[in-house]
Amino acid sequence: MTLAAPPDPQRGTRLGSRLGGRLRAAIMAGGVVVLASCPAWGGAGIRDTLILFAYNAALAQMWNLLAGYAGLVTFGQQLFVGLGGYTLAVGCERLGLGVWPSFALAAVIAGLVAVPVGALTFRLKGGYFAVGSWLFAEIFRLLFGTWNFVGNASGMYIRPARTVDPWVSYYVAVGLLIAMVVLVVGTLRSRVGLALMAIRDAEDAAAGLGVNVWRVKLLAFVVAAAGTGLVAALITVHNPYIQPNAEFSIEWAASASFMVVVGGLGTVEGPLAGAVVYVVLQQWLGASGAVHLIVLGAVSVIVMLVAPRGIAGVLADHLGWTLFPVARRPPRR
Amino acid sequence: MQLFETLLNGLLLGGLYGLIGLGLSINFGTMRVVHLAHGDLIVLSAYFLVAVLVPAGIPPLAAAALVVPVLFGVGWALQRFVVGKSLGRGVLPPLIVTFGISMVLQNVLLLVATADARTLQSPLASAGVRLGSITVATVRLVDFAVGLACLGGLLLLLGRTALGRALRATSDDRDTARLMGIDPRRMYAVAAAIAAATGGVAGVLFSVTSTFYPSTGSELLLVAFEVVVVGGLGSLTGTFVGGILLAMAQLVGARLFGPSYQLVTGHVVVLLVLLFRPQGLLPRVAP
Repeated sequence: MTLAAPPDPQRGTRLGSRLGGRLRAAIMAGGVVVLASCPAWGGAGIRDTLILFAYNAALAQMWNLLAGYAGLVTFGQQLFVGLGGYTLAVGCERLGLGVWPSFALAAVIAGLVAVPVGALTFRLKGGYFAVGSWLFAEIFRLLFGTWNFVGNASGMYIRPARTVDPWVSYYVAVGLLIAMVVLVVGTLRSRVGLALMAIRDAEDAAAGLGVNVWRVKLLAFVVAAAGTGLVAALITVHNPYIQPNAEFSIEWAASASFMVVVGGLGTVEGPLAGAVVYVVLQQWLGASGAVHLIVLGAVSVIVMLVAPRGIAGVLADHLGWTLFPVARRPPRR
Repeated sequence: MQLFETLLNGLLLGGLYGLIGLGLSINFGTMRVVHLAHGDLIVLSAYFLVAVLVPAGIPPLAAAALVVPVLFGVGWALQRFVVGKSLGRGVLPPLIVTFGISMVLQNVLLLVATADARTLQSPLASAGVRLGSITVATVRLVDFAVGLACLGGLLLLLGRTALGRALRATSDDRDTARLMGIDPRRMYAVAAAIAAATGGVAGVLFSVTSTFYPSTGSELLLVAFEVVVVGGLGSLTGTFVGGILLAMAQLVGARLFGPSYQLVTGHVVVLLVLLFRPQGLLPRVAP
């Protein structure tokens, strides 16, 4: 169903931030220059920490696109982490496609699988959707664990990926993160973004205004799946060993939701701030210990109850600071 | 005959699955919250029984009777002080909060009780009852009987008592219920406490029926979810029947394709239900 073309959403509204346009541009350019010049000032330790930051922030951006903008709260993105990782592994270790072609293929495979998965899980609403998508990841975990071609539950090494220079991985990771921020900001400022936010805020009202809710949600789901698959393929390049229980683990959902909630749901800055907090905690508490997960869970609960808008939300509410303004405000009279 | 035996075992195990699903169903039915820590509450009660009460020298039956009121209290307190504070602001807050509780419970159990497999040693686990030419494990009969008794008790509570009427009224129309002098927050806490108490019963049964680990909570949450999806949202009887169907599907799958396909078969049946009958097999009919 389409109505007459709605008026240009840009007209009559402005994208507001109390930070001036020049200041915002300077902050962003500064961030990009610092990241791009890392070989000049940082060693291998800083490089690996920044890779960790970049891919976690990119995963969080994708989770935020779903939960923060499309109203699709999911605990099943580890399905696409696993598919991306395994596409890279099978592509270059088993099929000899080469590292970077396999890397690109990861986005395609994850995006393709997202179509039927989305079509089925969208039949569940709210919390049941969140668990339904988790169920899909669980099915793939069990199936990959019995599949001899990919090394069963013991997994496989990806030898071709070991020849990749870690600095190349670094630039790909930073490039992916920047590309995803640009993609999310661009999407949100477009009509699709307006439709997404309308669905999140009032699904029935959005449908009543002619938004094809199902299609817009599926589009967001597929984009987030492809992005997640791509990031996961990069993680596998950087860390070339893969195993179903780790790839399809619920801990990916735990870390992504933690970063978005702590940083600020439904903001572009939020996942970036959340990823900084996450990486600091991880360096401090150890990679995957029980204590780390207890802290992630407890902090998520406390932030949700005390400051549900997260770091970015608090900054925007109290100081009017937003680095990437995408919210629309009514025109001043 | 073999198929009959498998189906009978599925029916009996289904009593336990149905009971596991009931807790999720009660929480969702009253406050529209999918309680992601429900599986962990079940595992928590199993650990409480096996690692605290029984080693303390309390006789197993008395210990089991103690678990249920304790879980009632835990459920009440969690709802009153944590989950309840996240309600009324959309889908995300209660999900994040219950997921966070799940992570904390699971990993605290991992730290305190280690990742070793546990189970409750009891004469029930090895005993069997002969029915004609087949033998059924006694523990499965107990699972089914207790699960069915819990369903009956809940239906009586909800259908025939003043508290049940208040709970149903809150579920149907929170604001009107409030006008009638019902405190919705109190009703939510009572519902969450009852749900946790069913989890306590399920935890006791599960500790005798199977081995468990700290991470079993996630598996049980998925079982509860599948039971509810197969049975249809919003009806306790439907949930219980869903448990029976899921258990039957799992055991038939294990028999046909081997034990490692037990869970996968159950998952595939759930996907088929989603594909062909997304409202579930016994949805609540609108009045």
